Amino acid sequence: MELKMNDLTKRFGNFTAVDHVDLTMTNGVYGLLGVNGAGKTTLMRMICTLLKPTEGAIMCNGKDIFKMDNSYRRLLGYLPQDFGFYPDFTVKDYLLYIAALKGIRPAVAKRRVRELAEKTGLSKNINKKMKKLSGGMKRRAGIAQAMLGNPKILILDEPTAGLDPNERIRFRNLISELSEDRLVLLSTHIVSDVEYIAGEIWLMGEGKVLHQGTADELICSMKENVWKCFADRAAVPMLMKKYKISNVRAEAHGAELRIISAEKPLPDAVMEEPGLEDVFLYYFGETGGDSNAVI
Amino acid sequence: MLLYELKKVLVRPVNRIALLILLAVMLIVAAIAVSGVSYTESDGSSVAGVEAAAKLRQAKEQWSGYVTEDVLKKVIEENDAVNQSPEARSDDVTDNNIAYSRKQGFSDLRELINLAFSGFQSYDYYRADSVSADEAGSIYERRISSLKEWLGSDEIKDRFTDNEKEYLVRQYEKTETPFYYTYADGWSTLLTYSSTVIMVTVLAAGFLVSGIFSSEFTLKADSIYFSSQYGRNRGVRSKIAAGFILQSGIYWIAILLYTAVILLTLGAEGGSCMIQSGMDGWKSFYNITYFQEYLLTVFGGYVGSLFILSLAMLVSAKTRSAVLAVTVPFVILFVPSFLSSVNALSEILGLLPDQLLQISYAIGAFNLYELGGKVTGAAPVLFVLYLFLYAVMLPGMYWIYQKAEII
Repeated sequence: MELKMNDLTKRFGNFTAVDHVDLTMTNGVYGLLGVNGAGKTTLMRMICTLLKPTEGAIMCNGKDIFKMDNSYRRLLGYLPQDFGFYPDFTVKDYLLYIAALKGIRPAVAKRRVRELAEKTGLSKNINKKMKKLSGGMKRRAGIAQAMLGNPKILILDEPTAGLDPNERIRFRNLISELSEDRLVLLSTHIVSDVEYIAGEIWLMGEGKVLHQGTADELICSMKENVWKCFADRAAVPMLMKKYKISNVRAEAHGAELRIISAEKPLPDAVMEEPGLEDVFLYYFGETGGDSNAVI
Repeated sequence: MLLYELKKVLVRPVNRIALLILLAVMLIVAAIAVSGVSYTESDGSSVAGVEAAAKLRQAKEQWSGYVTEDVLKKVIEENDAVNQSPEARSDDVTDNNIAYSRKQGFSDLRELINLAFSGFQSYDYYRADSVSADEAGSIYERRISSLKEWLGSDEIKDRFTDNEKEYLVRQYEKTETPFYYTYADGWSTLLTYSSTVIMVTVLAAGFLVSGIFSSEFTLKADSIYFSSQYGRNRGVRSKIAAGFILQSGIYWIAILLYTAVILLTLGAEGGSCMIQSGMDGWKSFYNITYFQEYLLTVFGGYVGSLFILSLAMLVSAKTRSAVLAVTVPFVILFVPSFLSSVNALSEILGLLPDQLLQISYAIGAFNLYELGGKVTGAAPVLFVLYLFLYAVMLPGMYWIYQKAEII
């Protein structure tokens, strides 16, 4: 399975959401990292045939996906960022309906729904109405629907957004498990999610893929160092203005800071091993959003 | 897939409420229709509803048969006899009612005489009282002559072309006479209220079908829907099919239920009588029976409902808004009534889709259209026009929806 984006561009009026992107994906997990408005969702929507590119093409095994039509969408499983559902449907009805839309025969669909409900921990809630589900349960139903047709291409847009830490870990493991023998594109602004499961990571900003590679390659691409140091609380605002700071932790007598800088920021600063969050901050000038999350 | 589309609509509480309201309105209309039938007893008291219908039927059936010169003569004689009775001459209302009770059996035939002798554009309830027995037999000739007189009058001379005038006269002359008469109050009541039932049904069904397309967008289920294998073809067809099944199912259940209630309570005889033998159809140039008018009414309503509700679905597919879509039936049904006072628009108004929902009015109206030198009434034009537009709308709906982009 190969998905190739050739000079892919999407414009909305004067605004270019995706700007001449050239990428190739084969089986494995790809992490798409970027700040809000970077063009991640637009790129994913084009891959899911929800939006037509203004320029360029997306080729699946050498064929234009928009010309492949049904036969391409048969390979596709998609979990959108804002996952909508039919509130008065039970989970079972919802999954069976999506199965029908995916062309799965009713007998097979029933079996598959049962399997996926078990895998995603939905079995106990299978007869509950969708509107009665918690956020985490809805996400589970979302991933279950994406997996219904046993897709060869799985597109997950912010799949762990809004989940509590336990559910996020569980979800991440599930995605890892599901990624065998298929192409998975995972978009998020939660850096740790992709760090754990993505083989290749794309850093996207202003519609372009600015950097790509494995987590280690991206870390190596940093031209600055990561420093850990302690500072007076009063000095923190000044340091934040001067440096890119990937983490601040309040301590009894001051604050522990993680600073990205070419030179040593403070005399007692100690050099640290950089992580993907540091890379994210280095390239985008802000944190990934979950630097203090407990994982 | 189709079953889930139907389920999506039917599990929504707001749609269930719309169906319950439809059922309630229909039962109320049926109750009003049945209770509107009244019978005056020989003691001057009145009864209404099912009991009245049974008694009225018994009284009217005594006059069943062809409305020949002899029958009309007899009507005048009986009418005169009642008018000469002390009860009719009395100032007491109860006495007057007693007198009227003796006229009920032939009241429909008496009305034909009133209509024939009142002039084309006027009506005088007491006109039959001054018609002689010898004159009464000429009602059929008078029907034609009064039409000719009206067509030649100043008020109307420019409204119709010569072709159209000839067509009207020809249609009148083609009316089979003498009329066969029997009790047909069940059919006439059925037809009187049918347009109300049809309109309410269309409005209620509008709530159900308006969300079929737009719900994917409003519920944010669109991304998953359109990225699925059949989201842009079979899925869209299922939505169109669900719309058709809901439109048809709700319409026919409502109409047949209403028909059954009315005909079972008021009686189903008289369906083969010409509509001209009744007060409402006397002037119509459509030479049809009550049953045929019923068929035209229900099938006209069906075509109109398919068109209006599919237009609502089209708006829903295009605008992605159920609110806008649900206003379509309201606009189509109520805007023409505001414009009806403008005479210059009568020809256009006569071809609007609301006319299909009230075909009885179209049958009673003199809206004529000349197509390729051939004159025809509005009813056939309405059927052909809106069936054609409906047929065009279906692929349009499919095309719009399957091309949807999710931004």
